Amino acid sequence: MTAQLRAELLKQRSTFTNLGLLLAMLGLVLLAVLLHALSLPADRLDSASNQVQVFRFGPLLGALFAGLVGALSITGEIRHGTIRPTFLITPRRGRVVAAKIVASGLLGIVFGLVAVGAAVAVGSAALAARGIPITLDGNDYTLMPAGGIAAAALWAPIGLGIGALLRNQVATLLAIFLWLFFIENLLIDFVPGAGRFAPGAAAAAITGIDPDRLLAPALGALLLALYAATLTAAGAIATLRRDVP
Amino acid sequence: MPIRRDRDAARNVDEQAGPALVAADARARDPVVTASSLTKRYGELVALDELTFSLRAGTVTGFLGPNGAGKTTTLRLLLGLAEPTAGEALVFGRRYRDLDDPARRVGAVLESNDFHPGRSGRDHLRALALAAEISRARVEEVLDLVGLERVAARRVKSYSLGMRQRLGLAGALLGEPELLILDEPANGLDPAGVHWLRGFLRGFAEQGRTVLVASHVLAEVAQTVDQVVIIDRGRLLITGPLTDLTERGQTLEQVYLELTAKGAS
Repeated sequence: MTAQLRAELLKQRSTFTNLGLLLAMLGLVLLAVLLHALSLPADRLDSASNQVQVFRFGPLLGALFAGLVGALSITGEIRHGTIRPTFLITPRRGRVVAAKIVASGLLGIVFGLVAVGAAVAVGSAALAARGIPITLDGNDYTLMPAGGIAAAALWAPIGLGIGALLRNQVATLLAIFLWLFFIENLLIDFVPGAGRFAPGAAAAAITGIDPDRLLAPALGALLLALYAATLTAAGAIATLRRDVP
Repeated sequence: MPIRRDRDAARNVDEQAGPALVAADARARDPVVTASSLTKRYGELVALDELTFSLRAGTVTGFLGPNGAGKTTTLRLLLGLAEPTAGEALVFGRRYRDLDDPARRVGAVLESNDFHPGRSGRDHLRALALAAEISRARVEEVLDLVGLERVAARRVKSYSLGMRQRLGLAGALLGEPELLILDEPANGLDPAGVHWLRGFLRGFAEQGRTVLVASHVLAEVAQTVDQVVIIDRGRLLITGPLTDLTERGQTLEQVYLELTAKGAS
Protein backbone atom coordinates (compact mmCIF):
# COMPACT_ATOMS: atom_id res chain seq x y z
CA MET A 1 0.00 0.00 0.00
CA THR A 2 3.02 2.33 0.43
CA ALA A 3 3.41 2.50 -3.35
CA GLN A 4 -0.27 3.41 -3.77
CA LEU A 5 0.02 6.02 -1.01
CA ARG A 6 2.96 7.67 -2.76
CA ALA A 7 0.92 7.68 -5.98
CA GLU A 8 -2.06 9.25 -4.18
CA LEU A 9 0.08 11.97 -2.62
CA LEU A 10 1.55 12.82 -6.04
CA LYS A 11 -1.97 12.99 -7.54
CA GLN A 12 -3.01 15.33 -4.72
CA ARG A 13 -0.18 17.78 -5.28
CA SER A 14 0.06 17.67 -9.07
CA THR A 15 -3.07 19.74 -9.79
CA PHE A 16 -4.20 23.16 -8.59
CA THR A 17 -7.46 21.78 -7.16
CA ASN A 18 -6.27 21.48 -3.57
CA LEU A 19 -4.43 24.81 -3.59
CA GLY A 20 -7.59 26.47 -4.91
CA LEU A 21 -9.69 24.85 -2.18
CA LEU A 22 -7.17 25.83 0.47
CA LEU A 23 -7.22 29.47 -0.64
CA ALA A 24 -11.02 29.49 -0.82
CA MET A 25 -11.20 28.08 2.69
CA LEU A 26 -8.68 30.59 3.97
CA GLY A 27 -10.67 33.45 2.44
CA LEU A 28 -13.92 32.25 4.02
CA VAL A 29 -12.30 31.78 7.43
CA LEU A 30 -10.84 35.28 7.37
CA LEU A 31 -14.12 36.78 6.18
CA ALA A 32 -16.25 35.02 8.82
CA VAL A 33 -13.84 35.65 11.71
CA LEU A 34 -13.22 39.30 10.82
CA LEU A 35 -16.92 40.05 10.25
CA HIS A 36 -17.74 38.80 13.75
CA ALA A 37 -14.70 40.15 15.55
CA LEU A 38 -14.96 43.64 14.01
CA SER A 39 -18.71 44.19 13.69
CA LEU A 40 -20.17 42.82 16.91
CA PRO A 41 -20.50 45.35 19.78
CA ALA A 42 -17.69 45.05 22.33
CA ASP A 43 -20.06 44.01 25.11
CA ARG A 44 -21.01 40.93 23.09
CA LEU A 45 -17.38 39.88 22.71
CA ASP A 46 -16.09 40.09 26.26
CA SER A 47 -16.94 36.67 27.66
CA ALA A 48 -15.02 33.50 26.82
CA SER A 49 -18.14 31.82 25.40
CA ASN A 50 -18.73 34.79 23.08
CA GLN A 51 -15.14 34.85 21.91
CA VAL A 52 -15.35 31.15 21.10
CA GLN A 53 -18.17 32.01 18.69
CA VAL A 54 -15.70 34.13 16.73
CA PHE A 55 -13.02 31.46 16.51
CA ARG A 56 -15.35 28.54 15.76
CA PHE A 57 -15.43 29.33 12.03
CA GLY A 58 -11.90 27.92 11.80
CA PRO A 59 -12.79 24.38 12.94
CA LEU A 60 -16.16 24.50 11.14
CA LEU A 61 -14.76 25.47 7.73
CA GLY A 62 -11.72 23.24 8.23
CA ALA A 63 -13.96 20.20 8.68
CA LEU A 64 -16.17 21.17 5.74
CA PHE A 65 -13.27 21.66 3.32
CA ALA A 66 -11.54 18.50 4.55
CA GLY A 67 -14.75 16.64 3.73
CA LEU A 68 -14.79 18.15 0.24
CA VAL A 69 -11.14 17.28 -0.37
CA GLY A 70 -11.72 13.69 0.76
CA ALA A 71 -14.77 13.41 -1.49
CA LEU A 72 -12.89 14.84 -4.49
CA SER A 73 -10.09 12.30 -4.10
CA ILE A 74 -12.48 9.61 -5.36
CA THR A 75 -15.21 11.50 -7.27
CA GLY A 76 -12.57 13.50 -9.17
CA GLU A 77 -11.02 10.26 -10.44
CA ILE A 78 -14.44 8.99 -11.48
CA ARG A 79 -15.35 12.27 -13.17
CA HIS A 80 -12.13 12.52 -15.19
CA GLY A 81 -11.89 8.79 -15.88
CA THR A 82 -8.50 8.41 -14.18
CA ILE A 83 -10.16 5.76 -12.01
CA ARG A 84 -9.64 3.35 -14.93
CA PRO A 85 -5.85 3.73 -15.25
CA THR A 86 -5.69 3.76 -11.44
CA PHE A 87 -7.43 0.39 -11.13
CA LEU A 88 -5.62 -1.02 -14.19
CA ILE A 89 -2.24 -0.32 -12.61
CA THR A 90 -3.49 -1.53 -9.18
CA PRO A 91 -6.34 -4.00 -9.78
CA ARG A 92 -6.49 -4.88 -6.09
CA ARG A 93 -8.81 -2.00 -5.38
CA GLY A 94 -8.63 -2.32 -1.59
CA ARG A 95 -5.04 -1.05 -1.69
CA VAL A 96 -6.10 2.04 -3.60
CA VAL A 97 -8.95 2.77 -1.18
CA ALA A 98 -6.65 2.28 1.83
CA ALA A 99 -4.12 4.69 0.31
CA LYS A 100 -6.88 7.22 -0.33
CA ILE A 101 -8.05 7.00 3.29
CA VAL A 102 -4.55 7.77 4.57
CA ALA A 103 -3.83 10.46 1.96
CA SER A 104 -7.13 12.25 2.57
CA GLY A 105 -6.61 12.05 6.36
CA LEU A 106 -3.21 13.73 5.93
CA LEU A 107 -4.73 16.42 3.71
CA GLY A 108 -7.49 16.89 6.30
CA ILE A 109 -4.83 17.62 8.90
CA VAL A 110 -3.28 20.26 6.63
CA PHE A 111 -6.64 21.90 5.96
CA GLY A 112 -7.56 21.78 9.66
CA LEU A 113 -4.21 23.29 10.63
CA VAL A 114 -4.53 26.17 8.17
CA ALA A 115 -8.18 26.90 9.04
CA VAL A 116 -7.73 26.81 12.80
CA GLY A 117 -4.41 28.65 12.70
CA ALA A 118 -5.85 31.45 10.57
CA ALA A 119 -8.98 31.78 12.76
CA VAL A 120 -7.04 31.96 16.01
CA ALA A 121 -4.38 34.32 14.66
CA VAL A 122 -6.72 36.74 12.91
CA GLY A 123 -9.43 36.54 15.60
CA SER A 124 -6.96 37.29 18.40
CA ALA A 125 -5.38 40.12 16.43
CA ALA A 126 -8.78 41.68 15.63
CA LEU A 127 -9.93 41.56 19.27
CA ALA A 128 -6.60 42.96 20.43
CA ALA A 129 -6.86 45.76 17.88
CA ARG A 130 -10.23 46.74 19.35
CA GLY A 131 -8.77 46.62 22.85
CA ILE A 132 -10.99 43.72 23.92
CA PRO A 133 -9.08 41.51 26.37
CA ILE A 134 -8.92 37.81 25.46
CA THR A 135 -10.76 35.89 28.15
CA LEU A 136 -10.19 32.42 26.67
CA ASP A 137 -7.98 30.34 28.94
CA GLY A 138 -5.12 28.05 28.00
CA ASN A 139 -7.48 25.12 27.96
CA ASP A 140 -9.69 26.73 25.31
CA TYR A 141 -6.62 27.67 23.34
CA THR A 142 -5.42 24.06 23.33
CA LEU A 143 -8.69 22.23 22.89
CA MET A 144 -10.08 24.27 20.04
CA PRO A 145 -7.06 24.04 17.67
CA ALA A 146 -6.37 20.39 18.52
CA GLY A 147 -10.04 19.51 18.21
CA GLY A 148 -10.40 21.44 14.97
CA ILE A 149 -7.47 19.61 13.40
CA ALA A 150 -8.78 16.24 14.61
CA ALA A 151 -12.23 17.02 13.26
CA ALA A 152 -10.79 17.91 9.83
CA ALA A 153 -8.59 14.79 9.82
CA LEU A 154 -11.71 12.66 10.41
CA TRP A 155 -14.01 14.58 8.07
CA ALA A 156 -11.71 13.97 5.08
CA PRO A 157 -12.23 10.16 5.18
CA ILE A 158 -15.94 10.78 5.86
CA GLY A 159 -16.09 12.76 2.60
CA LEU A 160 -14.15 9.99 0.86
CA GLY A 161 -16.63 7.39 2.07
CA ILE A 162 -19.64 9.44 0.92
CA GLY A 163 -17.93 10.05 -2.45
CA ALA A 164 -17.19 6.34 -2.90
CA LEU A 165 -20.84 5.53 -2.20
CA LEU A 166 -22.45 8.26 -4.34
CA ARG A 167 -19.69 8.41 -7.02
CA ASN A 168 -21.22 11.50 -8.67
CA GLN A 169 -19.08 14.54 -7.85
CA VAL A 170 -21.77 17.23 -7.85
CA ALA A 171 -24.19 15.05 -5.87
CA THR A 172 -21.50 14.27 -3.28
CA LEU A 173 -20.37 17.86 -2.74
CA LEU A 174 -23.99 19.03 -2.59
CA ALA A 175 -24.86 16.30 -0.08
CA ILE A 176 -22.01 17.34 2.22
CA PHE A 177 -22.97 21.04 2.01
CA LEU A 178 -26.67 20.41 2.56
CA TRP A 179 -26.03 18.06 5.44
CA LEU A 180 -23.66 20.36 7.32
CA PHE A 181 -25.41 23.69 6.71
CA PHE A 182 -29.05 22.76 6.44
CA ILE A 183 -30.09 19.35 7.73
CA GLU A 184 -27.89 19.41 10.82
CA ASN A 185 -29.06 22.91 11.74
CA LEU A 186 -32.65 21.73 11.54
CA LEU A 187 -31.81 18.67 13.62
CA ILE A 188 -30.03 20.72 16.29
CA ASP A 189 -32.93 23.19 16.47
CA PHE A 190 -35.86 20.78 16.38
CA VAL A 191 -34.50 17.48 17.75
CA PRO A 192 -31.45 18.51 19.76
CA GLY A 193 -31.38 15.13 21.51
CA ALA A 194 -30.62 13.42 18.21
CA GLY A 195 -28.89 16.37 16.50
CA ARG A 196 -25.91 16.37 18.80
CA PHE A 197 -25.04 12.86 17.65
CA ALA A 198 -24.82 13.98 13.98
CA PRO A 199 -21.34 14.06 12.36
CA GLY A 200 -21.15 17.84 12.05
CA ALA A 201 -22.19 18.34 15.67
CA ALA A 202 -19.69 15.68 16.74
CA ALA A 203 -16.94 17.60 14.90
CA ALA A 204 -17.95 20.80 16.70
CA ALA A 205 -18.09 18.94 20.01
CA ILE A 206 -14.40 17.96 19.77
CA THR A 207 -13.41 21.61 19.83
CA GLY A 208 -15.35 22.11 23.09
CA ILE A 209 -17.07 25.25 21.82
CA ASP A 210 -20.58 24.56 23.05
CA PRO A 211 -20.44 22.07 25.93
CA ASP A 212 -24.05 22.78 27.00
CA ARG A 213 -25.65 21.64 23.77
CA LEU A 214 -22.99 19.32 22.34
CA LEU A 215 -21.30 16.12 23.51
CA ALA A 216 -18.13 16.16 25.61
CA PRO A 217 -15.00 16.57 23.41
CA ALA A 218 -13.72 13.03 23.96
CA LEU A 219 -17.12 11.54 23.21
CA GLY A 220 -17.43 13.71 20.11
CA ALA A 221 -14.03 12.50 18.88
CA LEU A 222 -14.99 8.88 19.46
CA LEU A 223 -18.30 9.28 17.68
CA LEU A 224 -16.72 11.09 14.72
CA ALA A 225 -14.08 8.36 14.44
CA LEU A 226 -16.92 5.84 14.35
CA TYR A 227 -18.61 7.77 11.52
CA ALA A 228 -15.32 7.87 9.62
CA ALA A 229 -14.73 4.14 10.10
CA THR A 230 -18.28 3.19 9.08
CA LEU A 231 -18.45 5.42 6.02
CA THR A 232 -15.00 4.49 4.70
CA ALA A 233 -15.78 0.80 5.24
CA ALA A 234 -19.06 1.17 3.34
CA GLY A 235 -17.30 3.12 0.58
CA ALA A 236 -14.54 0.51 0.37
CA ILE A 237 -17.01 -2.37 0.10
CA ALA A 238 -18.97 -0.52 -2.60
CA THR A 239 -15.75 0.18 -4.53
CA LEU A 240 -14.63 -3.45 -4.32
CA ARG A 241 -17.98 -4.93 -5.29
CA ARG A 242 -19.29 -2.62 -7.99
CA ASP A 243 -18.04 -2.45 -11.56
CA VAL A 244 -15.69 0.46 -12.22
CA PRO A 245 -17.57 3.19 -14.14
CA MET B 1 5.51 12.44 -34.97
CA PRO B 2 8.96 11.12 -34.00
CA ILE B 3 9.52 7.52 -34.92
CA ARG B 4 11.70 5.51 -32.65
CA ARG B 5 12.00 1.79 -32.02
CA ASP B 6 11.69 0.45 -28.50
CA ARG B 7 15.38 -0.42 -28.30
CA ASP B 8 15.17 -1.84 -24.81
CA ALA B 9 12.38 -4.15 -25.77
CA ALA B 10 14.35 -5.33 -28.78
CA ARG B 11 17.39 -5.95 -26.59
CA ASN B 12 15.34 -8.01 -24.15
CA VAL B 13 14.32 -10.34 -26.92
CA ASP B 14 17.96 -10.81 -27.99
CA GLU B 15 18.86 -11.69 -24.43
CA GLN B 16 16.15 -14.31 -24.35
CA ALA B 17 17.58 -16.15 -27.36
CA GLY B 18 19.08 -19.56 -26.68
CA PRO B 19 17.87 -21.88 -23.91
CA ALA B 20 15.22 -19.36 -22.84
CA LEU B 21 13.52 -19.87 -26.19
CA VAL B 22 12.50 -23.40 -25.20
CA ALA B 23 10.64 -22.10 -22.16
CA ALA B 24 9.16 -19.29 -24.21
CA ASP B 25 8.00 -21.91 -26.72
CA ALA B 26 6.18 -23.93 -24.08
CA ARG B 27 4.62 -20.78 -22.72
CA ALA B 28 3.49 -19.75 -26.18
CA ARG B 29 1.24 -22.79 -26.39
CA ASP B 30 -0.87 -21.57 -23.47
CA PRO B 31 -3.37 -18.94 -24.49
CA VAL B 32 -2.52 -15.43 -23.30
CA VAL B 33 -6.17 -14.38 -23.25
CA THR B 34 -9.09 -16.71 -22.64
CA ALA B 35 -12.78 -15.84 -22.67
CA SER B 36 -14.93 -18.84 -21.86
CA SER B 37 -18.72 -18.65 -22.04
CA LEU B 38 -18.30 -15.03 -21.01
CA THR B 39 -21.69 -13.50 -20.20
CA LYS B 40 -22.54 -10.04 -18.95
CA ARG B 41 -26.05 -8.81 -18.33
CA TYR B 42 -27.07 -5.31 -17.26
CA GLY B 43 -30.61 -5.91 -16.01
CA GLU B 44 -32.56 -7.05 -19.07
CA LEU B 45 -29.81 -6.10 -21.50
CA VAL B 46 -27.52 -8.94 -22.53
CA ALA B 47 -24.20 -7.30 -23.38
CA LEU B 48 -22.27 -10.55 -23.79
CA ASP B 49 -23.79 -13.94 -24.45
CA GLU B 50 -21.50 -16.92 -23.82
CA LEU B 51 -18.57 -15.43 -25.71
CA THR B 52 -15.67 -17.84 -26.10
CA PHE B 53 -12.31 -17.16 -27.76
CA SER B 54 -8.62 -17.28 -26.96
CA LEU B 55 -5.43 -15.56 -28.13
CA ARG B 56 -1.93 -16.98 -28.48
CA ALA B 57 1.32 -15.20 -27.74
CA GLY B 58 3.05 -13.33 -30.53
CA THR B 59 -0.12 -12.34 -32.37
CA VAL B 60 -1.85 -9.08 -33.12
CA THR B 61 -5.57 -9.69 -32.95
CA GLY B 62 -8.20 -7.32 -34.29
CA PHE B 63 -11.32 -7.30 -32.14
CA LEU B 64 -14.15 -6.23 -34.42
CA GLY B 65 -17.88 -5.73 -34.27
CA PRO B 66 -20.60 -3.08 -34.71
CA ASN B 67 -21.25 -0.41 -32.09
CA GLY B 68 -22.75 -2.02 -29.01
CA ALA B 69 -21.52 -5.49 -29.99
CA GLY B 70 -19.83 -5.90 -26.60
CA LYS B 71 -16.18 -5.22 -27.45
CA THR B 72 -15.53 -2.71 -24.69
CA THR B 73 -17.48 -4.84 -22.21
CA THR B 74 -15.26 -7.82 -23.08
CA LEU B 75 -12.11 -5.74 -22.54
CA ARG B 76 -13.45 -4.43 -19.20
CA LEU B 77 -14.13 -7.98 -18.03
CA LEU B 78 -10.66 -9.15 -19.11
CA LEU B 79 -9.12 -6.28 -17.13
CA GLY B 80 -11.16 -6.79 -13.97
CA LEU B 81 -12.96 -3.45 -14.20
CA ALA B 82 -16.27 -5.32 -14.35
CA GLU B 83 -17.39 -8.72 -13.11
CA PRO B 84 -18.90 -11.26 -15.53
CA THR B 85 -22.45 -12.42 -14.83
CA ALA B 86 -21.27 -15.89 -15.86
CA GLY B 87 -18.22 -17.46 -17.48
CA GLU B 88 -14.58 -16.51 -17.16
CA ALA B 89 -12.23 -13.87 -18.53
CA LEU B 90 -8.59 -14.79 -17.98
CA VAL B 91 -5.21 -13.33 -18.88
CA PHE B 92 -2.21 -15.63 -18.60
CA GLY B 93 -4.56 -18.26 -17.15
CA ARG B 94 -5.67 -16.12 -14.20
CA ARG B 95 -8.05 -13.33 -13.41
CA TYR B 96 -6.29 -10.00 -14.03
CA ARG B 97 -6.45 -8.94 -10.40
CA ASP B 98 -4.95 -12.27 -9.30
CA LEU B 99 -1.77 -11.78 -11.35
CA ASP B 100 1.32 -11.32 -9.18
CA ASP B 101 2.48 -8.20 -10.99
CA PRO B 102 -0.35 -7.13 -13.29
CA ALA B 103 1.22 -3.85 -14.42
CA ARG B 104 4.27 -5.70 -15.76
CA ARG B 105 2.25 -8.32 -17.61
CA VAL B 106 -0.64 -6.38 -19.13
CA GLY B 107 -0.91 -2.82 -20.40
CA ALA B 108 -4.26 -1.39 -21.47
CA VAL B 109 -5.98 1.73 -22.75
CA LEU B 110 -9.78 1.72 -22.75
CA GLU B 111 -10.65 5.41 -23.23
CA SER B 112 -8.72 8.13 -25.01
CA ASN B 113 -9.30 10.79 -22.37
CA ASP B 114 -8.81 9.24 -18.94
CA PHE B 115 -6.70 12.11 -17.63
CA HIS B 116 -7.11 14.98 -15.18
CA PRO B 117 -7.03 18.06 -17.46
CA GLY B 118 -5.02 20.05 -14.91
CA ARG B 119 -2.26 17.46 -14.44
CA SER B 120 0.80 17.29 -16.68
CA GLY B 121 1.36 14.26 -18.87
CA ARG B 122 4.54 13.47 -16.96
CA ASP B 123 2.82 13.64 -13.54
CA HIS B 124 0.01 11.40 -14.84
CA LEU B 125 2.60 8.76 -15.77
CA ARG B 126 4.62 9.29 -12.60
CA ALA B 127 1.59 8.61 -10.41
CA LEU B 128 0.98 5.35 -12.28
CA ALA B 129 4.67 4.45 -12.06
CA LEU B 130 4.73 5.08 -8.30
CA ALA B 131 1.71 2.80 -7.76
CA ALA B 132 3.42 -0.02 -9.67
CA GLU B 133 6.92 0.72 -8.33
CA ILE B 134 8.24 1.53 -11.79
CA SER B 135 11.27 3.84 -12.04
CA ARG B 136 11.17 7.50 -13.04
CA ALA B 137 13.65 6.67 -15.78
CA ARG B 138 11.06 4.38 -17.37
CA VAL B 139 8.55 7.27 -17.34
CA GLU B 140 10.99 9.33 -19.43
CA GLU B 141 11.59 6.32 -21.68
CA VAL B 142 7.92 5.84 -22.54
CA LEU B 143 7.45 9.61 -23.03
CA ASP B 144 10.32 9.47 -25.51
CA LEU B 145 8.96 6.31 -27.12
CA VAL B 146 5.56 7.85 -27.92
CA GLY B 147 7.08 11.23 -28.83
CA LEU B 148 5.66 13.32 -25.99
CA GLU B 149 8.93 14.27 -24.27
CA ARG B 150 8.70 17.91 -25.34
CA VAL B 151 5.14 18.45 -24.08
CA ALA B 152 5.36 16.24 -20.96
CA ALA B 153 5.44 19.22 -18.58
CA ARG B 154 2.29 20.73 -20.07
CA ARG B 155 -1.16 20.16 -18.60
CA VAL B 156 -3.20 17.54 -20.44
CA LYS B 157 -5.95 20.07 -21.24
CA SER B 158 -3.63 21.55 -23.88
CA TYR B 159 -3.13 18.14 -25.60
CA SER B 160 -4.74 17.19 -28.91
CA LEU B 161 -6.67 13.93 -29.18
CA GLY B 162 -3.69 12.31 -30.85
CA MET B 163 -1.40 13.40 -28.00
CA ARG B 164 -3.87 11.99 -25.48
CA GLN B 165 -3.90 8.68 -27.35
CA ARG B 166 -0.12 8.59 -27.16
CA LEU B 167 -0.13 9.48 -23.46
CA GLY B 168 -2.58 6.63 -22.82
CA LEU B 169 -0.35 4.26 -24.76
CA ALA B 170 2.68 5.47 -22.79
CA GLY B 171 0.85 4.59 -19.57
CA ALA B 172 0.05 1.11 -20.89
CA LEU B 173 3.72 0.55 -21.81
CA LEU B 174 5.16 1.65 -18.44
CA GLY B 175 5.53 -1.88 -17.09
CA GLU B 176 6.96 -3.30 -20.36
CA PRO B 177 3.96 -5.64 -20.54
CA GLU B 178 3.69 -8.91 -22.46
CA LEU B 179 0.10 -8.22 -23.45
CA LEU B 180 -1.29 -4.95 -24.76
CA ILE B 181 -5.06 -4.35 -24.84
CA LEU B 182 -6.17 -1.25 -26.76
CA ASP B 183 -9.58 0.18 -27.60
CA GLU B 184 -9.55 2.27 -30.81
CA PRO B 185 -5.91 3.39 -30.40
CA ALA B 186 -5.66 5.03 -33.84
CA ASN B 187 -8.55 7.41 -33.15
CA GLY B 188 -7.25 10.97 -33.52
CA LEU B 189 -3.73 10.01 -34.64
CA ASP B 190 -2.37 11.78 -37.70
CA PRO B 191 -1.27 9.65 -40.69
CA ALA B 192 2.32 9.54 -39.44
CA GLY B 193 1.03 8.51 -36.02
CA VAL B 194 -1.09 5.72 -37.50
CA HIS B 195 1.90 4.50 -39.48
CA TRP B 196 4.07 4.58 -36.37
CA LEU B 197 1.44 2.73 -34.30
CA ARG B 198 1.13 0.01 -36.95
CA GLY B 199 4.89 -0.55 -36.96
CA PHE B 200 5.02 -0.45 -33.19
CA LEU B 201 2.30 -3.09 -32.75
CA ARG B 202 3.88 -5.37 -35.36
CA GLY B 203 7.27 -5.02 -33.67
CA PHE B 204 5.68 -5.69 -30.29
CA ALA B 205 4.20 -8.98 -31.55
CA GLU B 206 7.42 -10.00 -33.33
CA GLN B 207 9.10 -10.01 -29.92
CA GLY B 208 6.70 -12.78 -28.88
CA ARG B 209 4.35 -10.40 -27.13
CA THR B 210 0.63 -10.13 -27.77
CA VAL B 211 -1.76 -7.38 -28.84
CA LEU B 212 -5.56 -7.27 -28.71
CA VAL B 213 -6.90 -4.20 -30.44
CA ALA B 214 -10.57 -3.26 -30.78
CA SER B 215 -11.21 -1.10 -33.82
CA HIS B 216 -13.71 0.05 -36.41
CA VAL B 217 -11.11 1.10 -38.96
CA LEU B 218 -11.09 -2.08 -41.05
CA ALA B 219 -8.59 -0.89 -43.65
CA GLU B 220 -6.13 -0.12 -40.85
CA VAL B 221 -6.89 -3.39 -39.06
CA ALA B 222 -6.29 -5.35 -42.28
CA GLN B 223 -2.76 -3.90 -42.46
CA THR B 224 -1.89 -4.51 -38.82
CA VAL B 225 -3.42 -7.69 -37.44
CA ASP B 226 -2.84 -11.35 -38.17
CA GLN B 227 -5.85 -12.70 -36.27
CA VAL B 228 -9.41 -11.44 -35.95
CA VAL B 229 -12.23 -11.97 -33.49
CA ILE B 230 -15.55 -10.64 -34.82
CA ILE B 231 -18.51 -10.35 -32.47
CA ASP B 232 -22.05 -9.00 -32.78
CA ARG B 233 -24.73 -8.62 -30.12
CA GLY B 234 -22.46 -10.20 -27.56
CA ARG B 235 -21.93 -13.39 -29.58
CA LEU B 236 -18.91 -14.66 -31.46
CA LEU B 237 -19.32 -14.55 -35.25
CA ILE B 238 -15.90 -15.79 -36.31
CA THR B 239 -12.33 -16.04 -35.07
CA GLY B 240 -9.16 -17.08 -36.85
CA PRO B 241 -6.22 -15.93 -38.95
CA LEU B 242 -6.93 -12.97 -41.21
CA THR B 243 -5.52 -14.90 -44.18
CA ASP B 244 -8.20 -17.63 -43.79
CA LEU B 245 -10.96 -15.03 -43.92
CA THR B 246 -9.68 -13.33 -47.02
CA GLU B 247 -8.38 -16.38 -48.90
CA ARG B 248 -11.10 -16.21 -51.57
CA GLY B 249 -9.93 -12.78 -52.59
CA GLN B 250 -12.41 -10.87 -50.45
CA THR B 251 -11.33 -7.87 -48.42
CA LEU B 252 -11.70 -7.83 -44.64
CA GLU B 253 -14.39 -5.20 -45.08
CA GLN B 254 -16.43 -7.44 -47.40
CA VAL B 255 -16.17 -10.39 -45.01
CA TYR B 256 -17.04 -8.21 -42.03
CA LEU B 257 -20.08 -6.61 -43.66
CA GLU B 258 -21.34 -9.99 -44.85
CA LEU B 259 -20.98 -11.54 -41.40
CA THR B 260 -22.51 -8.68 -39.44
CA ALA B 261 -25.39 -8.33 -41.95
CA LYS B 262 -26.22 -12.02 -41.40
CA GLY B 263 -26.20 -11.44 -37.68
CA ALA B 264 -28.66 -8.58 -38.06
CA SER B 265 -31.18 -10.52 -40.16
